[in-house]
Amino acid sequence: MVAIERPWSVVVWDDPVTPMSVVVVIFKKIFGYSNNKCTQLMLTVHHEGRAIVWSGQRERAESYCVKLQVAGLQSTIEHDQ
Amino acid sequence: MAGNKLFIRRRDGRIEVRLNDAGRAVAREAFGHVVAAERDPDHEWHASLNAPIDPASDDDDVVSKLHRQNEISTNAELAVMTLGEEFLNGAEAWAWLSTFQIALRSTAIANGLMTEEKLETCQPELLGYIRTLQQFLFALAECV
Repeated sequence: MVAIERPWSVVVWDDPVTPMSVVVVIFKKIFGYSNNKCTQLMLTVHHEGRAIVWSGQRERAESYCVKLQVAGLQSTIEHDQ
Repeated sequence: MAGNKLFIRRRDGRIEVRLNDAGRAVAREAFGHVVAAERDPDHEWHASLNAPIDPASDDDDVVSKLHRQNEISTNAELAVMTLGEEFLNGAEAWAWLSTFQIALRSTAIANGLMTEEKLETCQPELLGYIRTLQQFLFALAECV
């Protein structure tokens, strides 16, 4: 039997000052996602106040979260329910 | 600012900085604040540079916090060092964008402007500063 660990999620939070195009550029740079996917994620952040932008192992989630914070976005990690 | 475009990506990949003296002065102030805030725990922006990574945990991983501190400092110092340049390479432009973005969010957090309503009713001078940083970011995002 294989034990499956619950993944960790990287969450990006909305704020009223960050330009939308900047969020898209940062997502592309950090995750290498397509322009379309980055735009969809940015719109989710904008409309819902937050978006899960990546899920997986804790170490990588933490690394991505730090990269997003270094780029100036509000980001946290959380353990999926 | 000079012309319509504040930053232009050239065919060779370099990014031309077309900020005039006033624009570079705003950039100098913003980058300088980020460098200072990372070093000074009493700086009003310091808290925004040290946001929790895992809010459910009592304390974040020390290595991750150190990594963040190093990266923010490196970007801000690179941005300061290249303030007088006419052209930026890709890494320098990314450092400018990241540092402008940190300055923008830190200004909003330090002044309690984290809702649209509060942003629109803040002092005109402060709103002007925020709009200027946003303008720089719009222009840079088209180039990086």
